[in-house]
Amino acid sequence: MRRLAILAAGALWLGTPAFAAADENNDLNLIPGAAATESSAAAVVAAAAATAHGKFYLEDAITDSSQRSGLVVPYPAPPIANWQNRTSLDALDTWNLGADLSATLSNRLNLLEENDFNIVSRQTVRNDFREGYLTWEPLARNYLDAGRINVRNGVALGFNPTDFFKTRTAVGQASLDPSVTREDRLGTVMLHDQAIWDSGSASIAFAPKFYSSTPITDSSRLGIDPLFDRTNSADRLLATFGYDIADLSPQALVYHEGNETKFGLNLSHPVGQSVIAYAEASTGKQRDLIADAIAYGKKTAVLPSSAPILPSTDPVARFRSDLAAGVSWTPVAKFTVNAEYHFHQAGLSGRDWQNWFATGAAHAGVPAITKELWYVRGYANAEQEPLTRQEAFFRADWTDAFVTDLELTAITFVDLYDGSTLSQLTAQYYLSDAWTIGGYLSANLGGERSERGSFPQAASATLQIDRYF
Amino acid sequence: MNRAVIAFGSIAFVGLFVSLAQAQAPASSDDNLTAQQIVTAADQVRNPGKPFRLTSTLTEYIGGQAKDQVVLVIYVREDQTTKAYSNLVRYAAPPRDAGKLVLLSASNLWFYDPSSKASVRLSPQQRLTGQASDGDVLTVNYSRDYTATLVGRETLQDAERKNCDCWHLDLKAATPDAVYNRVEYWVERGTYRSVKAKFYADSGRLLKIAYFDKNQDLLGGVRPTETILIDAVDSNLVTTIASSDYRFQEIPDAWFQRDYLPRLKDE
Repeated sequence: MRRLAILAAGALWLGTPAFAAADENNDLNLIPGAAATESSAAAVVAAAAATAHGKFYLEDAITDSSQRSGLVVPYPAPPIANWQNRTSLDALDTWNLGADLSATLSNRLNLLEENDFNIVSRQTVRNDFREGYLTWEPLARNYLDAGRINVRNGVALGFNPTDFFKTRTAVGQASLDPSVTREDRLGTVMLHDQAIWDSGSASIAFAPKFYSSTPITDSSRLGIDPLFDRTNSADRLLATFGYDIADLSPQALVYHEGNETKFGLNLSHPVGQSVIAYAEASTGKQRDLIADAIAYGKKTAVLPSSAPILPSTDPVARFRSDLAAGVSWTPVAKFTVNAEYHFHQAGLSGRDWQNWFATGAAHAGVPAITKELWYVRGYANAEQEPLTRQEAFFRADWTDAFVTDLELTAITFVDLYDGSTLSQLTAQYYLSDAWTIGGYLSANLGGERSERGSFPQAASATLQIDRYF
Repeated sequence: MNRAVIAFGSIAFVGLFVSLAQAQAPASSDDNLTAQQIVTAADQVRNPGKPFRLTSTLTEYIGGQAKDQVVLVIYVREDQTTKAYSNLVRYAAPPRDAGKLVLLSASNLWFYDPSSKASVRLSPQQRLTGQASDGDVLTVNYSRDYTATLVGRETLQDAERKNCDCWHLDLKAATPDAVYNRVEYWVERGTYRSVKAKFYADSGRLLKIAYFDKNQDLLGGVRPTETILIDAVDSNLVTTIASSDYRFQEIPDAWFQRDYLPRLKDE
């Protein structure tokens, strides 16, 4: 070895290169023959793909569910469907109409079959008109958007206190994973103005009231209804401001609806090489969830005006806060874990839960009471806010798990009062660039007097296949 | 989400050829240059001088068979003060990932999915995941982050098995920003064409082998348009990165922040 080094040094001194170690050139044997000849083909693929626009796919998802019987608080009619098949055509695209003008459309057309309605009914066809808006850029990086727009804020995964336009926007999805359910939610009709400069941005959005409040569920409506009443039943204003300092990516928000104003903040920061810490919070005057739900039920005539607040709670609007704080940890390549703590001060406390079950059990044979109790839970779901005051959320994602192109995801929400969980395991296999097949297993687990264990749907399984174009 | 995040890691090596291989012969005789001067010279000629974009096709081979293909449109800008690269990456293919975006700007790393309108902040580790990634060199200034030693002159075969008279350089990490503990780097004398690089972990384990190929006159300099990456841990895995459609483009600083991601237009 020393002799070789001397020879190499001598060659260098003489201006003649030494031959590299044979091992260096042996590395070339590891290159597949096809790889050496495909660059021109790759350029053709690149040219075609780079000019392609939008995202279009066809999806079919069939779900089978198992229901619990003997609930402590009976679930009101109609029961949750035992099975459903959904076939969806999904489209998202933006067209440039001029140098400074563009149009965006995001829509999903669904064909539904369920055991609880006829194959041809009002519910058979459902169209989710998510977005349709024009964007004008009169000045560089100053944007004016008008139309139905999905404005989403928040850095957390399981609960977004600063996502003020999320209420009543959810439509059907096979997955319970929040990162998936957000893919199919309705936008809000608004005017939205945004300015972006070198180190920050600011925006303001105004969503006018077009309709009075409507019931959170209404099976008599046509499935092609754009549901503007869900998203535009109040005048709403949102202002955001972001300016990066201390590598925190802060975003401050002010939201105004009716006579109440909320303030929000988003922060995130890397910790070492593998962790991102993040938090988002909001605060403002509001009623607690039970009082708010009962008031909404009365306002929309779903509940009688004489309905008492059940379970009994503080009916007064006070300053209440929400928080989602967590970390994203990538300990090894292709594997990421998220852990979050959720605090929803307006949600049900441990005592509220005890009262909910005690009231329901004592009046199990009184439909008016049980309907009202379950209405509170349905309202929280429609608002896309936690039902319980404190919960934990975990998500793990493993890409290329066991084999290439298999992605496994597990999520769980844990009620911190009773330990009950809503969990889902997802497996997705990327059959090709165009085809993906996936499966979801979900379960509500817990004691009969727990949040999740009292839910009528015990478990469900979904098989889903997607064809991308 | 994660699958797309992993694919973007591959662009690290797109940057690799931008950053390591865009050397041209300096004015003075290269025999008089020290190793550090060679790296510094390479850094100085690396940047075309203006922001630019390119389109890269990443093809993954497993056991010699092409498996997955990803097409990325990449916008590149060098910070004139820090000499660090910022990148904005748009997925053009496969169709399931079309429109997704990744922002890579120092520690400001974000993934954006237009379907969910969600922006997710990424850790440096997530930036490094992926078969072709294992090293982020887009934001690396080699003369700043590595200390170079000249090992010697060697005759080495390039990707087309032609003998090249090369400088063999040994780069050792000199700052915490250096992703790899050590890089071996072969540069053809005279042309300063990058030929090969080997990347090592802190443990000394060889992680990746890169060959630079298909040199073309682009953006005012001769640059390789294809990088072949061999996974040294699992040599069944090979990724090729073929790039085309290089263009100078105005890319303001304002592009490299989370809130701009939804505003990047398809072109």
